[in-house]
Amino acid sequence: MATMKSRAIFVTGLWRENPVFRQILGICSALAVTNLLVNTLIMSLGLIFVTSMSNVTVSILRGVTPPRIRMMVQTLVIASYVIIVDITLKAYLPDISQALGPYVGLIITNCIIMGRCEAFARNNPVLPSLLDGIASGCGYAFVLLSVAFFREMLGFGTFFGVRVMPAAWTNWTIMVMAPGAFFMLGAFIWVVRSFGPKEEKPETAR
Amino acid sequence: MIKKRLFSVAYMFGLTFFFTALVSGVYEVNEERIGINEQIKLQKVVLEVLGMEPEQGTPGKRVREIFGGRVKVEENEGRILYRGFTEDGKTLVGYAFPLYGAGFWGPIYGMMGVDPQLERVIGVSFYRHSETPGLGGRITEAWFKGQFAGKRLLPRGKEGKYFSLVTPGTARAEGDLDAITGATGTSRAVDRLLDETLKDYLPWIAREKAKGRV
Repeated sequence: MATMKSRAIFVTGLWRENPVFRQILGICSALAVTNLLVNTLIMSLGLIFVTSMSNVTVSILRGVTPPRIRMMVQTLVIASYVIIVDITLKAYLPDISQALGPYVGLIITNCIIMGRCEAFARNNPVLPSLLDGIASGCGYAFVLLSVAFFREMLGFGTFFGVRVMPAAWTNWTIMVMAPGAFFMLGAFIWVVRSFGPKEEKPETAR
Repeated sequence: MIKKRLFSVAYMFGLTFFFTALVSGVYEVNEERIGINEQIKLQKVVLEVLGMEPEQGTPGKRVREIFGGRVKVEENEGRILYRGFTEDGKTLVGYAFPLYGAGFWGPIYGMMGVDPQLERVIGVSFYRHSETPGLGGRITEAWFKGQFAGKRLLPRGKEGKYFSLVTPGTARAEGDLDAITGATGTSRAVDRLLDETLKDYLPWIAREKAKGRV
């Protein structure tokens, strides 16, 4: 029973309600940090950490937090974890920290995190909330890494910095720039929606 | 009712206190490391504008060693000067000094390296700024920085300006450099900060040299 439930949480976060291509959340960073796989990976790990830890914290506090100030509490919790991620990157991965620039700090405003706190962690026990956070974070990571894979390959001809395209390959500079992200993300959503597993038709409201 | 409100305030206060303490704690633990990283970043910039740039991906420890072995730092009258030497540490390669000024959105920090005779630029780099990415932010790109390399340091015209950023393609004289299209604000700011810094630093270095201090 419990395992069934965890599986359902994962499928929901990764696919059925994937934050990026289903709910179109977190697009700002999805466009900004996806031209190199390394940066995308670090950003995704940071986001998974923040989403799961904020979910856990909000869930632990769910019994005591007065409902009318819950948004303040969530913002405080999220901001604290984001700053911790930022400090850790600055201390241990300064180059990546510089490449990601303001986007690490902007995780605070990533709608996915507060969305999960509001929609799930606020009403659920700690363990499912942790799983939900990881699942949503992974859903985000999955889309970003897919986009980054194509952008890096077409834009730089590399995979995690290792050259994979033949020497004759001309880099598509547009893929490295922001418009490239729009094309890739649009193409990704189109492919997933048209060729991905069909979802049950929701009942039409009349 | 009043009790509930008081609880909310006390709860928020307590929670904020806890998280602030947590974040401060994490920072405290890493403060030294972050400081060293910042220092290495600056040292790399100094080496870059003096034409001694280590290869990309050189570990921070090595950068510090190179810097320690080849660069001497002088501070005087509120100004800072880096002197770069050849690998054996005997011959002076050039001077480096910070470029600083207001940009379009926020302060711009850079560095300029010049030869020991104060006649030519070795290199220029901008390493911290808040300019618009893709427009003013292009001051960090190689084509922009590269324009300065090898340029002669001659005061020109009535104002005695060393460099002018002009519309790309209209550069006529030695000190004319391409501005950034679409970033007029940033280009003007860089133009001004170069003018101010050079008029301040170059005579000062010359005076210090005459006194035999550097």
